Amino acid sequence: MFLQQLLNGLTAGSVYALIALGYTMIYGILGLINFAQGEIYMCGAFVAVLLLGTGQVNFYLAFAGGMAAAALLGVVLERVAFRPLRGSHPLVPLISAIGASIFLQSLALLLFGPNDRPFPIQFNFSTITIAGLPLSSLQGAILAAALGFMGLLVVFVRYTRYGKAIVACALDRDTARLMGVNVDRMVALTFFIGSALSGAAGIMMAIYYNATYPRMGLLPGLKAFSAAILGGVGSIPGAILGGLLLGVAESLGAAYVSSGYKDAIAFAILILVLLFRPQGILKGRGD
Amino acid sequence: MSAYFLHLAILGGIYIILAISLNLIIGYAGQVSLGHAAFYGIGAYVSALTSLNWQFPFPLAALSAMLFTGGCGLALGLPTLRLKEDYLAIVTLGFGVIVDLVFLNLEITGGPDGLAGIPPPSVLGLSFRPPPLYLLLTLLAVLFTLGLTYRLVHSYHGRALKAIRDHEVTAQVMGINTPSYKVAIFTLAAALAGLAGSLYAHYITFINPESFGLHTSILILCMVVVGGMGSIAGAVVGALALTMLPEMLRQFHAYQDLIYGALLVGLLIWRPEGLLGRGKLSLKFLSRE
Repeated sequence: MFLQQLLNGLTAGSVYALIALGYTMIYGILGLINFAQGEIYMCGAFVAVLLLGTGQVNFYLAFAGGMAAAALLGVVLERVAFRPLRGSHPLVPLISAIGASIFLQSLALLLFGPNDRPFPIQFNFSTITIAGLPLSSLQGAILAAALGFMGLLVVFVRYTRYGKAIVACALDRDTARLMGVNVDRMVALTFFIGSALSGAAGIMMAIYYNATYPRMGLLPGLKAFSAAILGGVGSIPGAILGGLLLGVAESLGAAYVSSGYKDAIAFAILILVLLFRPQGILKGRGD
Repeated sequence: MSAYFLHLAILGGIYIILAISLNLIIGYAGQVSLGHAAFYGIGAYVSALTSLNWQFPFPLAALSAMLFTGGCGLALGLPTLRLKEDYLAIVTLGFGVIVDLVFLNLEITGGPDGLAGIPPPSVLGLSFRPPPLYLLLTLLAVLFTLGLTYRLVHSYHGRALKAIRDHEVTAQVMGINTPSYKVAIFTLAAALAGLAGSLYAHYITFINPESFGLHTSILILCMVVVGGMGSIAGAVVGALALTMLPEMLRQFHAYQDLIYGALLVGLLIWRPEGLLGRGKLSLKFLSRE
């Protein structure tokens, strides 16, 4: 029971972590909380579901298509809703992001209707028992995929020219510009990567819960945002740790405390952590 | 005046109080709150419960709502206001979500069904149930809020708050006790939101958690930013604009939210400082400076 809840928590947490990475990267480079991240997550899921619905695309292609659409949406959002507002009061882009989020949610509502859409293909996932612990291979696949994406991101940021340029921009935009880094392009790249990861998270959750709907991004978005702050905003390992912790805490809380307060537990823990460690668990910016 | 217009005017008045109180936190103390609707909701529930269970008359119910929400603001503000902007944003967001779930899960608040049959205010036998009279009551509350904030903002304490907003460290060096100022303004703003909640509860006479969720917090925040942070007149204009806008868009039915979101983004790109940014339309002639 305990281990099962732990596993459920890790699965949800790995998805929170993927979205949190988008938040934390964008926050690291622009100091902006992108409230529309949840809608990017929703967009990825919808595009993948629609592509699969045509019946002519295989699963991997649809997955890539969903991620690409989410990434594109992120870049367009940055160009339209955030870039013109750079340099204004930090709350202004936040409200602009909220506006974009309302817009995208109602657009999805218009295009796809309010009802849940099941995931078009069924997977034959079996439950395997490892050391007395029942592990659904779906959960295993989600965990593995999420961890894989995170690994790729860490390698990208640490060891490639573009990754290092993003870190440079996060540390100091002006100095990076003086060093010949094209800051605007790096910001766009950050949105591209962060949004692609959120899109992937959306597709995985659409499979996990077998439901895609216009408001699906709201709560995961909020929780991922909390996860990013919990881990130490701007820190990539922090976002991963924060996401996993939040997922586990929520799952255990729902099982042992009260399921009615499931969503409250995540936030209560967040508030407590912030009170005692205001800089987040792993302090960091632009790591 | 048609009944519909009266209804909108009363709601607009309630939102003006909310926007002004949030503006105190954002525009004057420079702090971000994403959970203002929680205080609004607490005020509404306290006012409703005291008048339903203990037959408190409206003024007493409203007063207890203000005191209680003020106390909640104090309790939340004391430990959290030392956090930086973004962290405070998430703490208040979390507070909003938690309060919403508490309303939903407690027995005394009626859970998802909420509370019905809240008595309309009556003072000395005069019932304020007819909308024109209720509008009068709302306007009185709006005037009270306006007067209070106006006097506050243009006092020694108001200048201290602005100093904190503009540069906290400098303000500290000048001998301003920044933590206590922030907590005090947060408490006051919470109490005013409680007043708005009380007005709402006794007007609609039925409340449930839906009215006080994240959606409402964000709406109030939008009012402040659209109107112009740090401007009282801006908060009033923002509140009225965002109360009326959905009504004007009603003819577009399904496209209502779509246009609303697009307008919000467009407005901010056009005027990032809000409709009435700092000092654009000031009421300087009213102040004694």
